[in-house]
Amino acid sequence: MARSNEVSINESKQMVVPLNTWVLISNFKLAYNLLRRPDGTFNRHLAEFLDRKVPANANPIDGVFSFDVIVDRATNLLCRIYRPSDTDEPPNVADLEKPVKSESSSTVPVIVFFHGGSFAHSSANSAIYDTLCRRLVGLCRAVVVSVNYRRAPEHRYPCAYDDGWTVLNWVKSRAWLESTDSKVHIFLAGDSSGGNIAHHVALKAAESESGIEVLGNILLNPMFGGELRTESEKRLDGKYFVSVQDRDWYWRAFLPDGADRDHPACNPFGPKAASLEGVKFPKSLVVVAGLDLVQDWQMAYVEGLKKAGKQVKDLYLEKATIGFYLLPNNAHFHIVMDEIKKFVSSNC
Amino acid sequence: MVPYETAAIPIANPPATSSSTTTTAISKPPEIDGLLAGAGYKVRSSDLRHVAQRLERLETAMLNSPSQHLSLLASDAVLYNPSDLSTWVDSLLSELNQSQSLPSLPSDLSDLVSNPTALDGSWMDQQLPPPTAAIHNQQPSQLTVVEEDSGIRLVHMLMTCAEYVQRGELSLAGSLIQDMQSLLTRVNTGCGIGKVAGCFIDALGRRVFAAGGGGGIPGSAYETEILYHHFYEACPYLKFAHFTANQAILEAFDGHDCVHVVDFNLMHGLQWPALIQALALRPGGPPTLRLTGIGPPSPDGRDSLREIGLRLAELARSVNVRFAFRGVAASRLEDVKPWMLQVNPKEAVAVNSIMQLHKLLAGPGLDPAHRPAPIEAVLGWIRSLNPKIVTVVEHEADHNQPGFLDRFTESLYYYSTMFDSLDACALQPEKALAEVYIQREICNVVSCEGSARLERHEPLARWRERLGRAGFRPLHLGSNAFKQASMLLTLFSAEGYCVEENEGCLTLGWHSRPLIAASAWHALPETAAVSPDVAVVGGAVM
Repeated sequence: MARSNEVSINESKQMVVPLNTWVLISNFKLAYNLLRRPDGTFNRHLAEFLDRKVPANANPIDGVFSFDVIVDRATNLLCRIYRPSDTDEPPNVADLEKPVKSESSSTVPVIVFFHGGSFAHSSANSAIYDTLCRRLVGLCRAVVVSVNYRRAPEHRYPCAYDDGWTVLNWVKSRAWLESTDSKVHIFLAGDSSGGNIAHHVALKAAESESGIEVLGNILLNPMFGGELRTESEKRLDGKYFVSVQDRDWYWRAFLPDGADRDHPACNPFGPKAASLEGVKFPKSLVVVAGLDLVQDWQMAYVEGLKKAGKQVKDLYLEKATIGFYLLPNNAHFHIVMDEIKKFVSSNC
Repeated sequence: MVPYETAAIPIANPPATSSSTTTTAISKPPEIDGLLAGAGYKVRSSDLRHVAQRLERLETAMLNSPSQHLSLLASDAVLYNPSDLSTWVDSLLSELNQSQSLPSLPSDLSDLVSNPTALDGSWMDQQLPPPTAAIHNQQPSQLTVVEEDSGIRLVHMLMTCAEYVQRGELSLAGSLIQDMQSLLTRVNTGCGIGKVAGCFIDALGRRVFAAGGGGGIPGSAYETEILYHHFYEACPYLKFAHFTANQAILEAFDGHDCVHVVDFNLMHGLQWPALIQALALRPGGPPTLRLTGIGPPSPDGRDSLREIGLRLAELARSVNVRFAFRGVAASRLEDVKPWMLQVNPKEAVAVNSIMQLHKLLAGPGLDPAHRPAPIEAVLGWIRSLNPKIVTVVEHEADHNQPGFLDRFTESLYYYSTMFDSLDACALQPEKALAEVYIQREICNVVSCEGSARLERHEPLARWRERLGRAGFRPLHLGSNAFKQASMLLTLFSAEGYCVEENEGCLTLGWHSRPLIAASAWHALPETAAVSPDVAVVGGAVM
């Protein structure tokens, strides 16, 4: 155990990680170690105590204001909506849902965002995700809808997907989110477990003949896996903030009892998954960090999409670790933000 | 080699800050790492390396602990203020009982971190976004929108009306009020936006049409008590206030045999049975407890304070706690003089203020040079009692802004959320009377001015400043209080209530909107610390 700790320090000497990023992610890692119990239960009270949250803010800060909406009272499903603002004045409460087309003659992308946290951690109002969503608004001149989906282990598969589906339907039916062509231009995005959710919600949209068109999927370090132990998992186990053991714990917490990691939720192109051929699946942008132990699964996902004839762009960042997109202090961050901006504007 | 500190310093201010954690841009110390602050953590840039080393040490300690040990630590240890990373990591380390020998620490962490000469030039050349414009000082305006279509028009009209009022155009305001009243008849006033709109229309009406310029809803102290009691039953805000304060008081009283609680608003004494019972069960036995309850004088000759005291005394007797009660009748808190409380210097004193301090705030329009705000005087005498703990619970809102429109907007958001949370309550008539209780508050905020406007709620950030200036320091509420609050909420209340930790204080809110904030304080001793090297002339023995 101590050995892997020493190795990680040596390995990371070659790694470019700003000190504050290292502190942030290490703190998460160690705090999360305390929250996962060996019996599969989760210390939710301590998790909520530790999570740094921020309130919504209808006062525009750097051109973005936010407000929370209950999308489904039955499950208390909440979303935080972020909108761009050209003034410093807070909008009138009646104007929070002012039609986007009245503010912009060009199409306004609506990004439905699923925060990460390996299905168990974080919330839509976690500080790190509030910051990320605000950046996306400015970057893409978009409205961002951040989903506060139900988390594992209290709520297993398919709760998070169901919540994503509920929000997708809600977004599609909001007249105020329509662009001048009377359509809502929807993208799905997410990091880690959020990326996994984005895939499955897009899949549901495609398979359900709902008529909901998702213009693009943006997956940042998406969380996928499988029974097989891949080369990257073995090579990078415990080296860069993440271990195979903790990944296994989160899958056990999310997947149905008795399921293994080849369950299609975890392994969408695995032996138990249905083919995507013929399914009208959106274009995807998949960002893979070269120091993320899950990368072989992420690249397999990219391959799977290609083989099924789906359009996908993969962005492989060799020296990036998990969470690089949380702080704007590294080259990878800026590269990815730029790619996201291009992806959204060219597919909107 | 470029030292890592300069490499790591990011944008000066994070793009988005919850302004409930910083009150002004100036007050935030410049050396705090701005990016980590945006993520909710306060670490000085100069401390980053030290914190990183401690994190490494913590990791090793955790790796060397069996996982059951870690889970136990997580469940049982009381942890405080996760925002202060440095202290947080150290407290975890000491909890983990550092008896294990540690591997040698890496001698130089700077290799771990970005060395700008090693980065490709495109990052260094890239223009980092300029530091953001001054962080807004305003309390975040938060709204959880629950009614999507119906009543939006009503809300628009309310805002317009408030603007007319601010501009002094009372006749325009008046006719708009009449329009709104007729629109109300077509809206469902049983729930949601219709209900809260009804209260605000009523409050505006009282302000605009009242003869003497602003009138709240008249009501006797007795009525107030009844409404308070139903508000207590219908929703968890007061219960949360009570049990969070009690937990902190219990901890502060640890090791003291003579304790004295001063309650700024006794009401029915609902807070105290739980404390009495907890003290009874204290390992080592209960202390002698004195309770001084402050409340308005009873008009009808009854001594209601004494009656409550007697009931509490009976309870104390039944659990073998030596107990004495004193009632202090005062219509206003500022009328109370410290000698009335008869505090004994040997006692451990707890001062408990549940939603009372805001009533002492002078209106911003008054000239403080002529009449100092009662708050300063009261905080002064609280401090002179040398309390072990001062528990403060206040509304988490800014309803004391000088501009009417700002106040109106803020309270519309706030009370909409509060009403929404009440919708989840099934008990009647508790719910209906709780709504009347809230309606009275709204009325006071909207239609009263000057000394009549008592509901001058201010947010936690401002109370922190105020109490700090008055010589108080925070006593952090920890993970045990948080857990207790969360658990009790799950048991007794509808889903949707949520407890949050905010730099050592706890807030309770509806969904993601904090509505009340609980904090604890202690006073720095008033006598200056005397250095042993300095001769004290005629000084007291320390």
